[in-house]
Amino acid sequence: MGKKLIGPIVTVLLGGAFVTVLGLLLHQSLSPAVAARVTAATPPSATEQHHVYVHLDTYPDSMAGEHGKDGGAEPDWVSYGPGTNINVPAHSLVTITISQYDGGEAITNPWFAKVHGTVGGTETVDGKPVTQIDPEAVGHTWTLHAAPTAQDPLFVSAPLPAVPDDAPIAAGSDYPKPIEVTFSFHTKGPGKYIWNCEFPCGDGYYAKFGGPMSTRGYMSGTFTVS
Amino acid sequence: MSVETTPADRQGRSRSEELKTLTILWAIFTVLGVIFALIVPHHLMGPSASNTMTEVERTFTMFSVASAPVAAVVWALAVYSLMRWRRRGAWKEGDPDGPPLRGHGMTSGIWIFLSSALCLFLLIWGLAALSKVDSAAASGATPLEIDVTGQQWVWTFSYPSQGVESDQLVLPVNRPVVFKVTSDDVIHSFWLPEMGIKVDANPGVTTSTSTVPDRLGLYHVRCAELCGLLHADMETNARVVTSDDFDTWIAGQGGHA
Amino acid sequence: MTTADIYKTDPSPVAPHGGIMRRLNVGTGIIAGIVLAVVANVLAKKLADGHTHEPDVRAVFTMFGWAVGFLLGMGAFTGPFRWLVGRDLTHADELFLAGKDQGVGRYFRFTTDHKVVGIQYLVLVMVMLGAGGSMAMLIRTDLISPNSGFLGPQTYNSLVGLHGLTMILATIIMVTGPFGNFVVPLMIGARDMAFPRLNALSFWLLVAMLPILYSAAFLGGIPMGWVGYTPIADQGPPGVDAYMMAILVFAVSTAVAGMNITTTIVTMRARGMTWTRTPIFVYGVLASVVLALPAFPFFMAAELLLFVDRVMGGGFYVPNRGGQPWLYQNLFWLMGHPEVYVILIPAVTALMELTAVFARKPLFSFRIAVLSIIAIVGLSATVWAHHMFASGWAPDLNGPFMLTTEMISIPTGGLFLVILGTIWRGRIWTAFPMMCTYAMLWNFIIGGITGIYLSDVPLDYQLHGSMFVTAHFHYTLMGAGLTGAMGALGYWFPKMTGRMLGNTPAFVSFWLVQIGFNVTFLGMFMVGLQGQPRRVVHYDASFHTGNTISTLGAYCIGIGMLVLLYDVISSWRHGDLAPMNPWGAKTLEWTVPNPIPLENFAVLPVVTEDAYGYGEEPVPESEPEPVPASAGAEADVPGAPA
Repeated sequence: MGKKLIGPIVTVLLGGAFVTVLGLLLHQSLSPAVAARVTAATPPSATEQHHVYVHLDTYPDSMAGEHGKDGGAEPDWVSYGPGTNINVPAHSLVTITISQYDGGEAITNPWFAKVHGTVGGTETVDGKPVTQIDPEAVGHTWTLHAAPTAQDPLFVSAPLPAVPDDAPIAAGSDYPKPIEVTFSFHTKGPGKYIWNCEFPCGDGYYAKFGGPMSTRGYMSGTFTVS
Repeated sequence: MSVETTPADRQGRSRSEELKTLTILWAIFTVLGVIFALIVPHHLMGPSASNTMTEVERTFTMFSVASAPVAAVVWALAVYSLMRWRRRGAWKEGDPDGPPLRGHGMTSGIWIFLSSALCLFLLIWGLAALSKVDSAAASGATPLEIDVTGQQWVWTFSYPSQGVESDQLVLPVNRPVVFKVTSDDVIHSFWLPEMGIKVDANPGVTTSTSTVPDRLGLYHVRCAELCGLLHADMETNARVVTSDDFDTWIAGQGGHA
Repeated sequence: MTTADIYKTDPSPVAPHGGIMRRLNVGTGIIAGIVLAVVANVLAKKLADGHTHEPDVRAVFTMFGWAVGFLLGMGAFTGPFRWLVGRDLTHADELFLAGKDQGVGRYFRFTTDHKVVGIQYLVLVMVMLGAGGSMAMLIRTDLISPNSGFLGPQTYNSLVGLHGLTMILATIIMVTGPFGNFVVPLMIGARDMAFPRLNALSFWLLVAMLPILYSAAFLGGIPMGWVGYTPIADQGPPGVDAYMMAILVFAVSTAVAGMNITTTIVTMRARGMTWTRTPIFVYGVLASVVLALPAFPFFMAAELLLFVDRVMGGGFYVPNRGGQPWLYQNLFWLMGHPEVYVILIPAVTALMELTAVFARKPLFSFRIAVLSIIAIVGLSATVWAHHMFASGWAPDLNGPFMLTTEMISIPTGGLFLVILGTIWRGRIWTAFPMMCTYAMLWNFIIGGITGIYLSDVPLDYQLHGSMFVTAHFHYTLMGAGLTGAMGALGYWFPKMTGRMLGNTPAFVSFWLVQIGFNVTFLGMFMVGLQGQPRRVVHYDASFHTGNTISTLGAYCIGIGMLVLLYDVISSWRHGDLAPMNPWGAKTLEWTVPNPIPLENFAVLPVVTEDAYGYGEEPVPESEPEPVPASAGAEADVPGAPA
């Protein structure tokens, strides 16, 4: 009896091992989270524990982001940096500053040229508070939305103006002087969210939404509230 | 007790017994099927939030009830054959074969007639339901028009008469609503699961669907067509509110009623 | 010049043993394939350097180079080439190609013997089912909780597409490939297929296809599911080129195989095997390939247009260049719905064939079986747009397409009648193949009824694109189709391998697979009704229960399939030797000895009755008694009293 069982059991174990190895190979390995600067000393309000600062950049290529100096497999793809995975604490005020190095053009859906879901419904562009930017000169957007699980809904969308095409390259840099965009929003309970760019910037692909737009680690990422 | 019986008698009695057992089995399966059909689909689909969904749930239940006796025929015959005609052990050379029954005109005729009749019934029911769905928003108050835009991987909703745009869908209760759906890039599918409506969002084309939301609550808008990387996240809320709350919301968004 | 001189030109002095042809095998094929792929890649880089479509041009050139090189290196074109240079194959060459006296090596060559091709197909189908099944396990593992984060969206979307395509391609060939090639020529009393070289070609094309298909995983994946809808297919990475090229190669393979099987069945049946004496499985295989022959070119055309879009910058499917995504959907489903019956009909007819044997009864109403198959074949070409009810294309046509779709339930009911009628009062031997018939009855009635829901337009508006649809087609393609193929495997295993399939592991596997299957897909019906869309990497927490049930069921299927795999391998190697006719069946394949000699029949059989004469007196060998003249005269009198 025992002898008869060995064959099937070994087959099942081998099959299970095969699937496990395949799973380990294909398992999603997220790149390290972007470091968030936390200030606990001065709670922003009675209900919120932390004020968190996150700094991101958007580049016209992949040379400066998480893909390393040579830009990884697709050096020409636009990318967010220094990383695309962001962790923040729950029930906190989050301030995100994005240094925008990339050019741009008209956005397909002008609604995303407006600011949504931030504190006061505004963002600051190089220090000036605005509620929307010129829909004809959008560089990117940073749009946060909820994964469809039972968690608090969160929707934030901040447009990033385009750097003019004729802007001079800044001294000591490969890029023009960036546009600094800052906005804040409140997180609620813990949850897993995603963010992506809603400005079609995957040049060379249908609807400009292929390539960097449809590949993890370039123009989209995770946003974990814990 | 021993009674002299002729083979014909025996066959006759066993035939009527066969039919009796089969009928009982069939009736049991049918009853179980009907009970299942009346309770489970409605329970799973949840309370309907629109007249369209009410119709969908009614049709689903009706079809399930109508299918129960059909499935019961197959299962009753299968179960009975295993109970009654199953051979113990393997076939051996020289074992007697079953009766050489190559067909039975009456059985085939009834079978095909009944399946055709059932098919016709389903068709008529379907066509009637279809025309009802198509004319859902044609009656009553002037429909609220909402332009729905799908893009990778968010929905936006525009209320042209109110001058409002939003990432959330807010609907006044009991007012017909017409969705004009399009896409900025690839094909998406605009689905309101609790309201039983769905239509693809195609680039370059506007499709439409309509319903009358009839229940206050928080519902979902989902994308039902694989649209790339973040397809699973292309979901947002749909809120059905009272007419007054709707006007308040419109005003809060800077629109006009 | 005398006649004798004319025939003295052969054999050729250069190659006494057939020369290079005898050295070609799968190894030389792979080498030639890689060499040509590299050459094509370099050429493509030169051609398209810096162009927007450079990655796509390079991908398709490389894949094309691989496919052509592999087939050349296999020796697939030796016959036509020798004919072209005027040195046609000798009899010895033909025997070599048929694999005479070559042992196991013949399975790794371009061997033309239909029995070798049948076994090759069987192994290929098992490999593909294993690959697709492994992907299913990963998909279900990801879905075990609402937001597991196991695979991530990019990998998940690709896996869903590759799982679907692998399984569809595997199920299309799973009955007509192994059993159509191995069994059908035996069943109709033929020595081989009509075109043995095309037969081998159809198989090796599939082998060439597999690396192309799976290269998609290394080229950015496929973002659009197995249906390959446009315009997202226009947007995708070069993985989509792999999808496209794999379909093109597959379509050539099915065209070749379909032509070959059709010709074989129509022209090569034994003397006396009239259409009323042809076994139902032969009808099933014929219907399948006859349906595939016009259907797959639509798919091929759809992918060729995509090829122009992606590689050459065309715009057939790109709206802002005048293209139309609905064109793709129509072309795709013109193939897609007939394909469902391409898969189902041979599987169901295989079960009919063995049900007659295991019930020891004639097939009930052979005529209804044949008419149902013909009606399904005819109707299935007219229902494609029911996949597009919710697409917004031609809403006015929804009514007519609902009509044709619901009409298909009538001949499908006919198939049920035939099987149930055959079981009726039979002497039912519930061996493993017959258990598959019962499982099919259970699964297919669920699959069929849920299909009627989906044919109803208002219901389809709700259910389309949801997990309900996924569950429905798994019930038909897996619950009925794959179960039928497993029955066929158990039934013909003794003839194909000369050994019996071990009973106990088959029994254990049957229950694991069937229970697991029903648990998995009933769970999926549940979340579909609750409102979960298809192909989502994570889902609302309210669908958690149903998804957990599905995942546990899927593991159960996986274990069951592995037990069956063990059974097949161990029985093949050292199972009990099979007698010539272990089931006591009456079809011709059981009249040849094990192992089956090359060219099958020493003397071609002559058929005098159909294969279902269970419980009947055999037809006397001699001529029937002449009818008395008076009886005949009476019947001829018009208006004679009855």
